[in-house]
Amino acid sequence: MKRVLAVGVNTFRETIRDRILGVIILFALAMIVASLWLASISLGQENRMIKDFGLVAISLFGLIVAVFVAASLVRKEVEKRTVFIIFSKPVSRAEFIWGKFLGLAATMFTVLAGMTVFLFVLAWIVARSPSGSLLVAGLLIYLELLVVMAMTMLFSTMTSAILASVWGICVYAAGQLSHNVLSLSKLGHSGVAHAMSLAVFYLVPNLSAVDIRAAVVGEGAVSWTSLAAWCVYLLAYLVIALVIATLIFRRKEF
Amino acid sequence: MRLLRRVVVVLVVALCVGVVIGYQSNRPAAATPDPVVFVPSPGFYRNFSPAVRTTLADVYWLYTIQYYGEHLNSDRRLDSLPAMVRLVTALSPHFTEAYFFGAFAMIDVGRPDVAYALLQDGFKANPDDWHFPFYLGFFAHTYASGAHKDQVASQWYADAARLPGAPPFVSRLAAELATKGSSKQTAIDLWTQVFGQGDKYAQQKAVAALDQLLPKDKVAREKAVAALRGTVSPAMFEQLVADLFQGYQ
Repeated sequence: MKRVLAVGVNTFRETIRDRILGVIILFALAMIVASLWLASISLGQENRMIKDFGLVAISLFGLIVAVFVAASLVRKEVEKRTVFIIFSKPVSRAEFIWGKFLGLAATMFTVLAGMTVFLFVLAWIVARSPSGSLLVAGLLIYLELLVVMAMTMLFSTMTSAILASVWGICVYAAGQLSHNVLSLSKLGHSGVAHAMSLAVFYLVPNLSAVDIRAAVVGEGAVSWTSLAAWCVYLLAYLVIALVIATLIFRRKEF
Repeated sequence: MRLLRRVVVVLVVALCVGVVIGYQSNRPAAATPDPVVFVPSPGFYRNFSPAVRTTLADVYWLYTIQYYGEHLNSDRRLDSLPAMVRLVTALSPHFTEAYFFGAFAMIDVGRPDVAYALLQDGFKANPDDWHFPFYLGFFAHTYASGAHKDQVASQWYADAARLPGAPPFVSRLAAELATKGSSKQTAIDLWTQVFGQGDKYAQQKAVAALDQLLPKDKVAREKAVAALRGTVSPAMFEQLVADLFQGYQ
């Protein structure tokens, strides 16, 4: 655990120093502020517009950070040959993967927490009352992105950084459409098609099970039970992805 | 030599800036856009973008407002407005303001039937919101025709009064309509409540309607408006007075 934390702390320092991260955060903040302009032309719907567009901005920019940093994290160490220095010390490959993930998770937390708190304050100023649901939504977006990050890291152990990033984005998009796959599996009479749709439904992370953005803008309430069940599901999915990534990385020859 | 190179670079950049600005400033002014625009099926968006359906509703909300503003100030044709409002409300059924805006906007183009149907849809999706039967009663009384319109309006107000959060004046309006029927005073009372309960857009409509209904003479108007004190909150009453006496010395 100590070694995992050491790799994690090192990764956190390394990623937080990355200039690209700063640029992306700046863009995200600009996007959130741009939602203020959209709100001003919304005929009295400022609060709703800021929350909705702000959360979309956080999701999208969070996704960019998660996918592009996660895809290059392991690859960079291998390409720069720094991985040999790490493995010359008593650090196993599993500890390396989990440490890298933890470090990036901490970076993502910092990035998303910054953006969510900024949005929270902005919405508070506009609506003149705080909206706690925004903070919960930020936390759930973070959890969603952790899953995408784990999947991207898994892909990066198998393929190039660019391809891993593309696959990571595909996983996010497919995860948002998860329920459609289930609907498709119920259509038609082909047993093979049905089995394939079901397989895809279980393989792709279900990122649309809880519609948190809709709940924040007042479109129906989300029960704490379904929220907790979804969080446990996402954490379980994340662990599976990282375990597979570890297994693949263990077999890798440099 | 170096100076000459710098001068050339500056001149080239200045020329390019001139071309870019010149090109854009010579674009022809936009013609009045087509009043019939393509509005996708709500079903498509609902099925294929569940995670961003409220965001899409918001994007279409902004588009709807823009469409409304553009056409109201030009050809006064809002052919696609019902479909747009229906798309927004189908993607976000609890976006109550969209129903109310759509209903009042349909009045602008002489389609109270569409406005009424829209509010009925809104009431179906939000059965606990007293504002819907309140506005249904108001639209039935103000824009419907026929001998039974007051009874229908009164029934809507009675329905609204039964819902949680409905203020006491709603049941008073129901009784007033049931007993007195249509009168100028009833219309003034109803529009005053629309002003008190509505958003900025509904308030604009209410001020315009009250301006027509109330006497033009300042003293008579002051007397008529004073009678409305207590029917809305003090802050709203102050705002109403300010709006109704704009232009009076």
